[in-house]
Amino acid sequence: MINTKTAITILWFTLTCVICFGSFVLKNQVHDLETELSKINSNIQKDVKTIHVLKAEWSHLNNPSRLKKLASEHISLNKVRAEQIINYSALPFQYENGGIDEVVTAGVNNKEYKKLVKAER
Amino acid sequence: MVSEEKVLGVTLSKKNNNFYFPGQNSDSAGLDVLFEESLSAGAIRTCRQRMLVAIAGFMLVYLIIAIRVISVCLTDGIRIYTPGEDAAESEIYIGTPISRADITDRNGAIIATSLPTVNLYANPKNVRNPEDIAEKLSLLFPEISYNDLIAKLTRKRTSFSMIKYNLSPAQQAAVNNLGIPALEFQKSEKRVYPHKNLFSHILGYTNIDNLGLSGVEKSLHKRLTESSKPLRLSLDMGIQDTIREELLAAVEEFQAEGASAILMDVKTGEIISMVSVPDYDPNLSIPVGDRSLFNFATQGVYEAGSVFKTFNTALGLESGKVKINDKFDATKPIKVQGITVSDYRGENRWLSVGEILIYSSNIGSAQLISRIGKDAQRRFLINMGFEEPLSDFEVFEKGRPLFPSQKKWRDDTMATVSYGYGVSVTPLHLIAAFSSLINGGIYHYPTLLKSVEGQHPARRVISGHTSENMRKLLRDVVVYGSAKKANIPGYQVIGKTGTANKLVGGRYVDKKVITSFISAFPESNPQYALLVVMDEPKGSKKTFGFVTSGWNAVPVGGKIISQIAPQLDIQADFDLDVQRQHVKAAYVR
Repeated sequence: MINTKTAITILWFTLTCVICFGSFVLKNQVHDLETELSKINSNIQKDVKTIHVLKAEWSHLNNPSRLKKLASEHISLNKVRAEQIINYSALPFQYENGGIDEVVTAGVNNKEYKKLVKAER
Repeated sequence: MVSEEKVLGVTLSKKNNNFYFPGQNSDSAGLDVLFEESLSAGAIRTCRQRMLVAIAGFMLVYLIIAIRVISVCLTDGIRIYTPGEDAAESEIYIGTPISRADITDRNGAIIATSLPTVNLYANPKNVRNPEDIAEKLSLLFPEISYNDLIAKLTRKRTSFSMIKYNLSPAQQAAVNNLGIPALEFQKSEKRVYPHKNLFSHILGYTNIDNLGLSGVEKSLHKRLTESSKPLRLSLDMGIQDTIREELLAAVEEFQAEGASAILMDVKTGEIISMVSVPDYDPNLSIPVGDRSLFNFATQGVYEAGSVFKTFNTALGLESGKVKINDKFDATKPIKVQGITVSDYRGENRWLSVGEILIYSSNIGSAQLISRIGKDAQRRFLINMGFEEPLSDFEVFEKGRPLFPSQKKWRDDTMATVSYGYGVSVTPLHLIAAFSSLINGGIYHYPTLLKSVEGQHPARRVISGHTSENMRKLLRDVVVYGSAKKANIPGYQVIGKTGTANKLVGGRYVDKKVITSFISAFPESNPQYALLVVMDEPKGSKKTFGFVTSGWNAVPVGGKIISQIAPQLDIQADFDLDVQRQHVKAAYVR
């Protein structure tokens, strides 16, 4: 027969063991997590550093003179001239009346221009 | 009786010929028997109490451990890593490895940044074989001589001897591969300007220890080192590049000593672009005592010449003593206190206020100011900011204006100042003052910072009505006067030219001039003011030998405006019919 005293002793002993083991496992886990955290942190640091360097490089590659040179070599884009910026109402259709402005189209014999007029209709 | 005897080195207790092994005698039943036999009841009670206290102590300790374990499990527990106190700040700039903040233009493009590098140093105390190390290192770094390396490696009484600053990652790897324990690395950073010459005078440069030595790097050094948040300037990289290219082309074409241009937002005082050529590449070693170090835009204190007539006219109109239709006698040169005021290719007739500007008449300007008086003139020019050195402007290098004192401001000073001689200011002063004349009459302190409420509140210097009149008069200068070459269709450019002889050795030299063109656009609602200044442009066949502003600074200004206005989202003010013709023309081509 186990008396109450012994039972309590065993209970406390077991609890102590459980807590000991528990805190040991926990400590290990925390240690692992800490290592992981510091690894992640140092990776972040590395990435931030890389991003920072890449940003500088990107800025260097975006140098206006360089872009201008590349644009003139590879695409036929020129600087915008003042007369290229126009009002909507200057386009060759009368959106108010819903019809084509004959005056506007007169004298222009160009497929694209006619397409532009048709498109609005 | 209890006797003791050693068996195999273990002390055994013997009682009545019975053996008890160690620990066996702690059997409680045995103890009780023992106590009953040999100890009094009081002693037993004391013993029990002590045991209770011990048990309670242990229970308390384990209870604390249990509570702690639960609290660690359920809550955050110990805070191991906190990147920053301010959550919002740490979110964006978490662990930035760079201590000096970047500088960006108004659109956020990086124009100055720092790259992480390492410095190579040696610990002379660990150097065993300096000759061998020096030989290996001099192969890697041919720019450091062998003897220097030996000297650095054998320095006495120190454990730190710097060998080379700012190694590239490849160089660092190469040094690591040498496997020399005496060589060590130190984390560092190097300031880099990705756009080279483009912002040289504005940004300035830093020394090897990242201390700002010039430009914004010097004047805002504290801000750049205190916060890692990028510093946003009001400059626009695209505009800056366009203007710089035009200026370089102009310097080449007119064989000028130098040139400068400033573009200012007239409604805020923000500088959108500021260029001075020749310039330098701050990434390379900085030239010493060279013209390229000179920032004409903020340091070039010069007599602006006829550009000053705009301020003269504005003062006349603002004072009420001159009406816009008044006429002044410019038929012949006049004498004021011993100096003779004459016109360059003068009209020799009576001129209206507008015509004084259109034909840039010195005589007319002197006549006009004589109605107002020297005190009012001096006060007005001080109000225009021509006396102060603009010390809060963010570029460190600034010129102090040459502004005569009240005592020295005589009648002849009054006359010469009316057409731009006798007072020397920088291009920055000019553009800030000019902006206030045409933006409705509000003076904005010039700034390089984007939308920052400065310590200089905007102030009214002339009435809105006078400003409107000035715009009309200056539009006539471009349409009919000396600035015709800048009359860009659609943008209603307004402006005034100026050609001033240079003072060389205390005498004005005829052939050496500084030409200026100050302008704004569009007339109806000016958004931007542009100042182009050229130092000693030469005449050519193309300019028929002329060196006046209308032949060099004005066409350059015109070219710049025609290119940057579309970039700045300013819509050209064409008639609807003209616009339709443009559309047609685009398709007919």
